[in-house]
Amino acid sequence: MHARLPDRPGRKKAQVSASAELELMQAHRRELDEVARKSGALVTGVADANAFTAAMEGQRPTDLLPDCKTVFVLGGAQPRAGDWKSPSYRHMETTSTSDRVTAMGNRVAQHIERKCGYYAVTIPPGVDRARRPFLNIALAAELAGCGSPSLAGPVLHPEHGFMYYTAVLTTLPLPVDGPLAEPVCPAPECVSMWNEAGTTPCMATCPIDEGGCLGGRIEDGRLKERRYDVARCTTRVHTTFIPGFQKALEAVFDEPEKEKRKMILYSTQFTRTLWSMSYSNVSQGQCFECMRVCPVGSKQRSLR
Amino acid sequence: MTILAGTQAPSGATFDSGVAASEADTAAARVAELRTMALAAGVDVVGFAPAERWDEFVPAGSRPYDILPGARTVVVVGVRGPSAGAWQSPDHRLIEMNGYDFANDRVIHLVADHIEQAYGYQAIQAPGLPIGGHQPAFSMMLAAVLSGLGTRSFAANIVLNPKYGLLYYSACLTTLELPADAMLEQDVCPAPMCVQVYKAGGKTPCQAACPSDDGGCLHGTIGPDNRIESTYYDRERCVSRAMNFGINSFQKGLEQIANEDDPEARRMMIHSDFFTRSASAIAFYKESVAQCFECMRVCPIGRAERKLK
Repeated sequence: MHARLPDRPGRKKAQVSASAELELMQAHRRELDEVARKSGALVTGVADANAFTAAMEGQRPTDLLPDCKTVFVLGGAQPRAGDWKSPSYRHMETTSTSDRVTAMGNRVAQHIERKCGYYAVTIPPGVDRARRPFLNIALAAELAGCGSPSLAGPVLHPEHGFMYYTAVLTTLPLPVDGPLAEPVCPAPECVSMWNEAGTTPCMATCPIDEGGCLGGRIEDGRLKERRYDVARCTTRVHTTFIPGFQKALEAVFDEPEKEKRKMILYSTQFTRTLWSMSYSNVSQGQCFECMRVCPVGSKQRSLR
Repeated sequence: MTILAGTQAPSGATFDSGVAASEADTAAARVAELRTMALAAGVDVVGFAPAERWDEFVPAGSRPYDILPGARTVVVVGVRGPSAGAWQSPDHRLIEMNGYDFANDRVIHLVADHIEQAYGYQAIQAPGLPIGGHQPAFSMMLAAVLSGLGTRSFAANIVLNPKYGLLYYSACLTTLELPADAMLEQDVCPAPMCVQVYKAGGKTPCQAACPSDDGGCLHGTIGPDNRIESTYYDRERCVSRAMNFGINSFQKGLEQIANEDDPEARRMMIHSDFFTRSASAIAFYKESVAQCFECMRVCPIGRAERKLK
């Protein structure tokens, strides 16, 4: 209403209504946070469904759920402090997964539909056509303020660092958190290392120019350039699981000698590949080295 | 209106009247406790059926007491699959991977654990997957019908619950005798709306969505009493559509790969989207158990439960 116009009865009503709506939205948010926390989530955030302008057509929240208003993001199920301490790197291959966080998302989605009466869809962790995700969950986590993208790749939470995320699309209006004001990566320790040695812990552990996957540049304490060899990373991170199975299967069919074929099929590599597929939730990734050296969240991993 | 088993106190209880009153009270209290526990754990409906109800419907070897000697009761739980939001999504592939989280299996284990640990009777999860041939050792659809949770429908014989429509079921066999729920007296399918549609056009909504005389899977007739008179379901055709990805497509893909002599062509097949998704559907099995929901999409049963803001 124009400032010079006299007050009208309708205005107060509208204001009261808007304030009641905000209170209701905040109440819903508290409720969902509680459900998420009880389910085991470490962090939550809300993104505006219309903020996914960087996403491809077909992968925006409103492409997947008409009238989608918000995206509720849950993070957690990260490797435990003890997992990081284990001298057996293979241990974490079988315990660190995104499966638990998806189950948390399903619980929140059910709560939104059954208690709040709004539509909700949990984004599946698998891929859609052409090996693309249904929705970029890392982007959702970023837009919901759960963290920011890192030089190493994963979205890092300012306090807890690396974790797994899931996203629930919903028609329920919620107060939006929005992206973080300050990026989490590079951490001050990494900036210092860059200034002294021209590299960061993650880049040093897997340097792209020496057969690794990560490269980049920091300027004025901010990430200026990032280089990531996704193909090379995949061959290391997914040594078992579906890509490992496909590779082994190709080797089996290409092998003309019967005895050698038998050896491949009964090898521990092939057996592990099948284990990781059938128990997929226990073996999706087999390399955590860039995250192992990341200082973000390291305090949370330091226990007695 | 039919009383919903699982959402209200059991009606039409058929517990043996010769049992002492206190034992009957205990049994009724256990039913209430199990029902409350299962509903709180996340299922939508719970039903109880006496093991003898199977005698009329299945051959020897498939009765509850063939699987668990001395079985007296079958406890059945059902959960909704796709979220209401997933039904709304214009991307049909989302519902393929987002339909089901095996909550019924998790809860049936809680039920079985509780019966064994709290009451001291044997309890097992009924085998829902085939253990020889392609037939399951124990039909969950029949269990749902016999425990009063639903009735068969025109749509691929899917058992429809009067309130929720399509549900996923699990069952627990136990040597504990419990008061049973009555079977539904009124058929859930066809719904009155479907009878009207059938009378006007000769097909129900599900039959119209997938007509067997036009390349689809479903056909059937409604009798003068407005009940199902006959049903036809082309299971093979349905499987080839509803199960595009999963064990079946993996086997088919593997056969084609094995039969391909050209290494380059074989390589392309192994690393193709199709084979990757087939392997993924095995790995992420719970996210991709079916790829066609069209007969259920048009079904009016349970629609009210899928209508949200």
